[in-house]
Amino acid sequence: MAVRLRAVVVLGVVLSLVSVGCRAKKKGAGAGGPGGMEEQGLGGGDSLAQYKAGTLGAGEGGPLKDIHFAFDSYELDEQARAGLRDNANWLKDHPKSKIEIEGHGDERGTVEYNLALGTKRAGATKEYLAALGIGADRLTTISYGEELPLCHEHNESCWQKNRRAHFVVLGE
Amino acid sequence: MKRLWLVGVVATSLMMAWDAASEAQVRGTILGPGARSYPIAVSPLKNLSATTAAPDVASQFADIVGRDLALSGYFKVLDRAAYIEKPDTSGHTAESINFDNWSVIGALALVKGAYTLEGDNLTLEVRLFDVYQRKQLTGRRYHGSTSEIRRMANKFADEIMNQFTGERGPFDTRLAFVSTRGGRFKEVYVMSPDGGDLQQMTRSQTISVSPSWSPDNRILLYTSYKSGNPNLFGLDFITGRDAVVSQRHGLNLGGKFSPDGSQIALTIEDQGNADIAVVDRMGKLLRRVTDNWAIDVSPSWSPDGRQIAFCSNRAGEPHIYIASADGGEPRRVTYGGSYNTSPAWSPKGDRIAYVSRSDGGFNLFTVKVDGSDTRQLTQSAGNNEDPAWAPNGRYLVFSSSRNGRKKLYITDDTGSSQVELTHGGGDDSSPSWSRWLE
Repeated sequence: MAVRLRAVVVLGVVLSLVSVGCRAKKKGAGAGGPGGMEEQGLGGGDSLAQYKAGTLGAGEGGPLKDIHFAFDSYELDEQARAGLRDNANWLKDHPKSKIEIEGHGDERGTVEYNLALGTKRAGATKEYLAALGIGADRLTTISYGEELPLCHEHNESCWQKNRRAHFVVLGE
Repeated sequence: MKRLWLVGVVATSLMMAWDAASEAQVRGTILGPGARSYPIAVSPLKNLSATTAAPDVASQFADIVGRDLALSGYFKVLDRAAYIEKPDTSGHTAESINFDNWSVIGALALVKGAYTLEGDNLTLEVRLFDVYQRKQLTGRRYHGSTSEIRRMANKFADEIMNQFTGERGPFDTRLAFVSTRGGRFKEVYVMSPDGGDLQQMTRSQTISVSPSWSPDNRILLYTSYKSGNPNLFGLDFITGRDAVVSQRHGLNLGGKFSPDGSQIALTIEDQGNADIAVVDRMGKLLRRVTDNWAIDVSPSWSPDGRQIAFCSNRAGEPHIYIASADGGEPRRVTYGGSYNTSPAWSPKGDRIAYVSRSDGGFNLFTVKVDGSDTRQLTQSAGNNEDPAWAPNGRYLVFSSSRNGRKKLYITDDTGSSQVELTHGGGDDSSPSWSRWLE
């Protein structure tokens, strides 16, 4: 029993080193190791990687759901907060997981303003998760503004989908 | 990498005799805001070379000048098929041109010239005539290589604009912009305003945004995600180096050189909040311009380098503000409308262009620096964004989705002439207009 545990710990350490080193080249697919550290899929890859692979918006989900914002706003409404409570529960169940919070906006308005708005959306999301008890050292943020939309129609239904915070599980 | 715009083209003025009457007629008042369709003929060049001929040179010069004049929105360039006089069998000076052949097809102005070619050495002389007065208005002689024909044509188009509007034209310059014409990724491109000489500058297959020229046209700043974080890069057209300028964690966005080229204003991120800062050419922080909980983004220098306009939502919605370039309490400029972003300070110093949400879309406006005299430039459907001034402070380039995909458009500062500038596939956005090439 002791030997098995030690092997599991060693594997976990190796996996986490590999995850950190490969941050710039995330594969997005599950990277769970055989030691059982992470049994659920680690899907929900980062949006830029998905865009490069041509799969952004194809519905590849992950354990953490997107939350949405009103136009030109980074306020968390009740629905967003409920979503964040769900995400926080997952994070508490997976205490070693780190996540990147991406902030996005819809196509309207300026590229630069939307990049700053995405920063605020990711920041507000991080703040709320921290307030729910998730350690801030587990949460990083990045903004993609209007650059990585899930859909391209010029209507509110699409714009609403794009005004989001998206969560990428980075591994442990 | 082609860097033809950094090579000098020698130009001399062709002496001509004025009389006071024709000078009064043409100086600065014939064409202005609202003027349209001044009929002008632009003839291909006559070949004066003893042995060699370069038909491409002959017609390319006329093509580029014609395209520039059409883009200005003030001229109707008459169709070459209607021209009675052919270049090689007719004169090219006031004494030798048969002006009746031009007035009969409706031309009020005429561009005619000639070239000599020795090997790769090109000498061009070209003149602008008032057809009814039968008089030369201006003339130029250019020396260079055949690869500089575009510079010669754009320079002469700028001189034609000067004759008719009193202000030098904007065409002997370069545009930088972002486009998805090559694929799914936003990459940085540069081109001549006439649409020619298009070159793709990045091939990083990631997101690139907000290219911006240095005042000497040597460096192109842009923000790219190629390293993961949105960092500010500077592409040097002389050395070919593409070096990182600012790689602070978070945004390094919208870098803009000060008018004297010594500093760069940009948006950085401080604890998840976007603020304006000024760094030196190596990216070392010199000072913060804003330090506020609000979004502060998109700096634009005044032409004297003393002030910076920017966009802030500190009042609850995005509006345009001005701060001293040293920092300090900003002054709010826009009060009308509920969403004003993307300020661009005119090289003339008196007005700021910006984007405002109106009529369900986004439109271009200008406002005086003191906040008065708001003017709406675009009224069309779709989104009109990313204004950038030409160095003469009379024209702007911007991005518009009025016909579907985003394309670059050129307009004068009243909005009375708006002409589509780019064509082809993909979306074109985020243009930057260089200074004159010399």
